[in-house]
Amino acid sequence: MKEYKRFYIFSPSLRIWHWINFLSIMVLFATGIYIGNPFFIGSQGVEAALVHGQSLTMGLIREVHFIAGYILLASFIFRMLIALIDGRDRLFIPKVWKSEFWSRLGETLQEYALVKDSSEGSLQIRNPLARTAYFLVYIAILFMIITGFGMYGMSDPSGFWASIFGWVVWSLGGEFPTHMWHHWVAWLIILFAIVHVYLVIREDFTKKTGEVSSMFNGYKFFKKEPADLKELK
Amino acid sequence: METFWEAFKRHGVSRRDFMKFAVTITGMMGLAPTMVPKVVRAMESKPRVPVIWIHGLECTCCSESFIRSATPLASDVVLSMISLEYDDTLSAAAGDAVEEHRKKIMKDYWGNYILAVEGNPPLGEEGMYCIINGKPFVEHLKESAEGAKAIISWGSCASWGCVQAAKPNPTTAVPVHKVITDKPIIKVPGCPPIAEVMTGVIMYMVLFDRIPPLDSQGRPKMFYGNRIHDTCYRRAFFNAGQFVERFDDEAAKKGWCLYKVGCRGPTTYNQCGSMRWYNGLSYPIQSGHGCIGCAEDNFWDNGPFYERLTNIPVPKQESNADKVGAVAAAAAVGGAIVHGIATKIRNSGKKEE
Ligand code: HEM
Ligand code: SF4
Ligand code: SF4
Repeated sequence: MKEYKRFYIFSPSLRIWHWINFLSIMVLFATGIYIGNPFFIGSQGVEAALVHGQSLTMGLIREVHFIAGYILLASFIFRMLIALIDGRDRLFIPKVWKSEFWSRLGETLQEYALVKDSSEGSLQIRNPLARTAYFLVYIAILFMIITGFGMYGMSDPSGFWASIFGWVVWSLGGEFPTHMWHHWVAWLIILFAIVHVYLVIREDFTKKTGEVSSMFNGYKFFKKEPADLKELK
Repeated sequence: METFWEAFKRHGVSRRDFMKFAVTITGMMGLAPTMVPKVVRAMESKPRVPVIWIHGLECTCCSESFIRSATPLASDVVLSMISLEYDDTLSAAAGDAVEEHRKKIMKDYWGNYILAVEGNPPLGEEGMYCIINGKPFVEHLKESAEGAKAIISWGSCASWGCVQAAKPNPTTAVPVHKVITDKPIIKVPGCPPIAEVMTGVIMYMVLFDRIPPLDSQGRPKMFYGNRIHDTCYRRAFFNAGQFVERFDDEAAKKGWCLYKVGCRGPTTYNQCGSMRWYNGLSYPIQSGHGCIGCAEDNFWDNGPFYERLTNIPVPKQESNADKVGAVAAAAAVGGAIVHGIATKIRNSGKKEE
């Protein structure tokens, strides 16, 4: 039996970003779904004007949504900056212009379709399918930020946020459609998260690469040098 | 053309009443009190502006709204502020006589008259769905627009398309700005627009001889700069999380927020929450019905009006984003479990290298 070797993959900045991103999206999703459909009513029998601070109100939940929105924006900018600075943090780019991208994409798809078993195929720190998915998720997050701050800013159409993101409201056909798009893409992000968690755990079980712990300590484990390791050098 | 002040005098209005009127309309136009002297000077010196008001595919609710303007009275606007030279719906004369008059006014005031358009042109079948004086309305519109200084698009029909342009739009009705592209167009959406907004826009244009400041969508900022939701008196209930669930429940009687029964106030730009209707008497939300978003583009297609989220077309079922999302998420979790078990079986029997 060959020994596993340890490879340093994820920078500390990336790991910190990942968990801040995770937390803010969870908070945004929970509060956002409530905003879209306030299914429980927490303040019956209390004077509307006095209810703030007494129980969980729509006002408070929206405030939490917006605070988490600001955090998401800040962490997204941070994420883009570290990708610019360090090649190590650029693994989310699908290199569609390379032939390996397509051949390895085929391999991964066959593995997930259970045509091949998990020990076949080349070793990779990040397969092309994952890269494509992450790339799309970054776009989805950006979309949520733009539409979110667009709606948020339009309470003052000549204010700061509206001047930056207000255009999105009109390019989506008005403010109501913008709300709906924001709502639909929120669900898409959650669907991604479910599949993402499953595939990470699956990778860990089938290949014992330490996939789950890598986002905490930064290391993955392989017996041979993975094919795309040279990207990190 | 005589000035406003001269017209007022002719109608026997005293100087004192004239000044009161000037102060009132300054407020109605959303201008600061410091602007009163300017408004008075303008009314003393500016000639009245000729207006040609044409009607396309529409229900005439804009005219119905306009004639109910209370501050200023629509009659004051029509008789003293503008000279309404052509309006085939309001005028006593009809047929060739008024058409001749329209042509004469266009010639006499070429480049100086305002064209007000109510309704919109259907383009299907070469415009045959709306005929004015034997010609398609779209030609009537193009012809009348040619010498206009500016165009006012009254209501959601002229501004966005409204009901006749809702899916599937059988007559290919389009808003005015799709047909006329070389003139400044002021959109005054609403189905109908609020009367005082209509008179406010007209007064601004004739008094200051320029178009009011417009937002990126071409709507006057002073009237369309706020969402109903941000000016709604029921907002305290929204913030508190106190909602009407059904139109016959306790909450509806108490006047709580109509968000959950489909109110479009959060996404609609109009003055209903602040100016209200019928001289400030009431507005839809005040009478217990949610806003349907009548001042917004495509509002007919953004239904159902009594639900917060739009339907997603799922065969044989009523569904919205949350229902579809929850089912998809459950399916994803289920799929992951099944796939996980299948993976285990697929990989079983393999020895580690
Ligand atoms: C992944 C991130 C996000 C998720 C999952 C999310 C989710 C949601 C959902 C489901 C809604 C309800 C939509 C509706 O039916 O009207 C919503 C509303 C909203 N979100 Fe987000 N959101 C996210 C990011 C943001 C960001 C970054 C902002 C910026 C401040 C933002 C601002 C808003 C605003 C202004 C509303 C409308 C609130 C209202 O109508 O009262 N969102 N969000
Ligand atoms: S009734 Fe409509 S406009 Fe008024 S606060 Fe509720 S959702 Fe907003
Ligand atoms: S409350 Fe909404 S639907 Fe009603 S008139 Fe105003 S904008 Fe139109």
